[in-house]
Amino acid sequence: MQLYGVELLRGLGITFSHFVRTYVKGVGRKFAQGNVRQLPTQDGIFTVPYPEEKLAVPERLRVLPFLIYNGNTGQPATEESIRCTACGICAKVCPPQCIWIVQAKDAVAGKPKPKPAEFTIDMDVCMNCGFCSEYCPFDAIKMGHDFELSNSERDKSHIFEMDRLLVPTENYAKTHPGAWAEEEAKRQAAAAKKAATAAAAAAAAKPAPGTPP
Amino acid sequence: MSIPIRVVTEEAALEQEVRRHISVTTWGGLLRMAEQVYNWGRRSSIWPLQFGLACCAIEMIATAASRFDIARFGAELFRASPRQADLMIVSGTVTKKMVPMIVRLYNQMPEPKYVISMGACATAGGPFKEGYNVVSGIDKFLPVDVYIPGCPPTPQALLHGLMTLQKIIDGQEISKVRWYQKNSQTLENEIPVPLLGPDLIDQRRIPEIQKTLREAGGQSLAGTVPALPATIPSFQATPTEGRRELIARLRQQFGQDAVEPQGDALLLAPAVALTVARYLKEQPDLGYDYLANLTSADYQDCFEVVSHVVSTARSEKPLTLKVRTPKDNPRVPSLTPVWPGANFQERECYDMMGIHFEGHPNLRRILMWDGFEGWPLRKNYLEPYYEEPGKMFSSRWKEGHHRRAEGRVFWRDNVKYPASWDASQKTFDDEAAPPVDNEGVSLQQNGDFLVVNLGPQHPSTHGVFRMKVAVQGERIVGLEPIMGYMHRNHEKIGERNTYIMNFPYTDRLDYLTSMGNNFGYAIAVEKLTGVPVPERADYIRIIMAEYTRILSHFWATGFLLNDLGAFFTPALYAIEERELILDLFEMVSGSRMMCNYFRFGGVAADLTEEFMTLSKGLIEERLPRSIDQIDRFLSRNEILTSRCKGVGALTREQAIAMSASGPVLRASGVSYDVRRAQPYSLYERFPFEIPTRTTGDVYARYQIRIDEMRESLRILRQAFKELPAGEIQGGKKAWNVRVPAGESYGRVENPKGELGFYIVGDGTDHPYRYHVRSPSFINLTALETMCRGHLVADVVAILGSIDIVLGEVDR
Repeated sequence: MQLYGVELLRGLGITFSHFVRTYVKGVGRKFAQGNVRQLPTQDGIFTVPYPEEKLAVPERLRVLPFLIYNGNTGQPATEESIRCTACGICAKVCPPQCIWIVQAKDAVAGKPKPKPAEFTIDMDVCMNCGFCSEYCPFDAIKMGHDFELSNSERDKSHIFEMDRLLVPTENYAKTHPGAWAEEEAKRQAAAAKKAATAAAAAAAAKPAPGTPP
Repeated sequence: MSIPIRVVTEEAALEQEVRRHISVTTWGGLLRMAEQVYNWGRRSSIWPLQFGLACCAIEMIATAASRFDIARFGAELFRASPRQADLMIVSGTVTKKMVPMIVRLYNQMPEPKYVISMGACATAGGPFKEGYNVVSGIDKFLPVDVYIPGCPPTPQALLHGLMTLQKIIDGQEISKVRWYQKNSQTLENEIPVPLLGPDLIDQRRIPEIQKTLREAGGQSLAGTVPALPATIPSFQATPTEGRRELIARLRQQFGQDAVEPQGDALLLAPAVALTVARYLKEQPDLGYDYLANLTSADYQDCFEVVSHVVSTARSEKPLTLKVRTPKDNPRVPSLTPVWPGANFQERECYDMMGIHFEGHPNLRRILMWDGFEGWPLRKNYLEPYYEEPGKMFSSRWKEGHHRRAEGRVFWRDNVKYPASWDASQKTFDDEAAPPVDNEGVSLQQNGDFLVVNLGPQHPSTHGVFRMKVAVQGERIVGLEPIMGYMHRNHEKIGERNTYIMNFPYTDRLDYLTSMGNNFGYAIAVEKLTGVPVPERADYIRIIMAEYTRILSHFWATGFLLNDLGAFFTPALYAIEERELILDLFEMVSGSRMMCNYFRFGGVAADLTEEFMTLSKGLIEERLPRSIDQIDRFLSRNEILTSRCKGVGALTREQAIAMSASGPVLRASGVSYDVRRAQPYSLYERFPFEIPTRTTGDVYARYQIRIDEMRESLRILRQAFKELPAGEIQGGKKAWNVRVPAGESYGRVENPKGELGFYIVGDGTDHPYRYHVRSPSFINLTALETMCRGHLVADVVAILGSIDIVLGEVDR
């Protein structure tokens, strides 16, 4: 026979133990320095009090895309330093089609140059999927981590032009250290390989001593 | 050393003394002080409306839960009534069908009131902007105070938005705020509620629309109808080996013309389709008793209705049945007499393609509203924002000068009207009409009953779902599920997308289980491309799918209790566990909810060290403990058992007939799980039980979920133990995939039930037909049967036990 109320009390006991543990573990708690990563052993108080504390930001986090130029913080971007070559793969792979690119043209001859003249992302259409960054062959577009973007105006401020998209490599290396190291290693390997082939080609081009021309 | 001497005159000294002892200020100063208190009071007690639209609403709920704890901002009192709320968080896609309700809710809120537009969809239509049922931003109707970019914004981003709103409130001046103005226009004039005619009608624009239509006699469409492929993709006329015998048998029984082989499928003559279907179901050795999926496709010279049927007693791939019908008068026999589970699916085909199902008891629109102009999934239907037949759009690159879609189209908005429309025409309004049941029988107003509309704005409909119930006293005598308030045109957009672009869109189907949705879509396309999946990638896929099952069932269990009245405590505990799993997803895929993690032939990125260590702690200790705790906490609780046992029972026969799937099917005693019936990925390697119950009630479904979480843990433990090293991407990683012509139906066992993707490829990089078989949608077919005779309060519990997600119901 079931005794009515026993299970109810047991349930209340579980709730009460949660309640007590929250206080016991929470007493004297100070705001954590740096970002918080909650572990499976997390017990008691579960709250991460934003904005005093923030959750740990994984490197792969994707919020809004940004463009990269080679340079240090504070250094302005120049056409040469912008990595984007206006190849258009990001615009082609973008599911909601929120990337708009105008290819730059030579001022004199009018020939197309591998640089963007305009690069626009409509943040009100972007779905933060990260395809642009994943498929960019030049590591020129990456997904940013900044989520504190709320504002009261959308008509102008949500259309990101190049001036708001460009981020120097120094900042990128700080926010995405793992990806940065990996990409740099790849780039150096590629450069070394290129140098080696160039040297080999130069060696092959130069006639070996003793052979008739 | 000198002491500075200050010379003070007598009057000045006197004034200083007065100022020190008596507070002297101006009226302005006084007002400013009052203002500070006034603003402080309001900013610290913002009561949001309990109102969610789509994916963003899930993040809003997470914000209210213990990890982010919106109570710290004094904003935890989510009010179910707009009359008690002062903040409307428009969290998700605003559809045309839903926007009248939103405006009405806003009108009912008392001043001072604020609006936060959360996420890209609410702000401007977001990724669904091009859809025919999507409003391009709530600011077209309501004054918005704060926009939060993101898709979806994380809970912390929502808190940031709330803080931005607090700053706005801090800056308000009593003398200027609109609710203290005399003769204020904004207070007296409510925002006119938009109407649902042939398209969404903004009442403020009616004179302009009428004038334009009169003068121009219609509108010019932005594009031309795309050319259809020259031939019907009927790729093989010869039957596959496995079907030969069946075809011979059917031909012998029903005549030579009754069945045409088409690869693995059977093309039935319309005249005999129903009898063949009945034969397939009733012959004991065939026993195709379960209709898994039914949809249609629009080809050059015909419409084709495709259905996939299986036998719940056998483990095998589905049998595909097809019926064709001419385009000028599309009529096919309804399969509802044989498989009642076809009911909603045939209505959807009618709604989307205008195919008439003869013999269907209740053939009406289901996702769009009655009176909507056009059949959206026909290939010649172009949305107002139509640009080109396929992506990418040529306006984006090389000369991609940014231009909003509104600036490009005729009405400067996502609407179009037929030339014949005039304002006196009746618009859609069905609130007072009595409910119509699945059999098409309308309860006429002769009996003694009351019609109550639950939803689409209701705290326990799990989103924008509406149930129209007829009650006699407290008893339900009739119930009509009404959906489409979140119909975001996935299929139409999906047919314009390239194959890979659909991954992030599948995330937004059932947004609680994005990894599972990715899985289903990847499998469906991989069947066509045949790209191999490396072993490691398959293990990772299974790990993600099982984690998803656990988090989804945690959520479902927590919110079932919410629906029973145990307000938020069990849900809070459940959400804590979910958050820890979301951390893992975010770490690996880059997003908590919209993981977009699977690729054709593998996954997007490898697991990290941190993922492995955290996972170990989770699956070895944390999750088993918390599942046990939830079980101990709830399973034998007297209130839960008395509210759930014997409520909403579905018999085994009913569950099969109505095409219920997932926990709903298994709670009724059918041991059917796609992971076993048609094993995909590497599930054959994993020993696990398929939990079943026989009572088929709310309690049984609850128990199934608890058991399934334990089984998932078992699979996870084995997967982590055996996880091999190696590649995570089979074939070449490519940003655009050309898929061979053909059709495939890929299905997976998602937490909610059988999730299927029916894809027809025509050899290009776009799917010709993209259909989602959604478990939440089809499980609702049985809702009326489950609810009839129960109390109003039970309806909420029954709906909670089906565990629907509106993103998937409406798609």
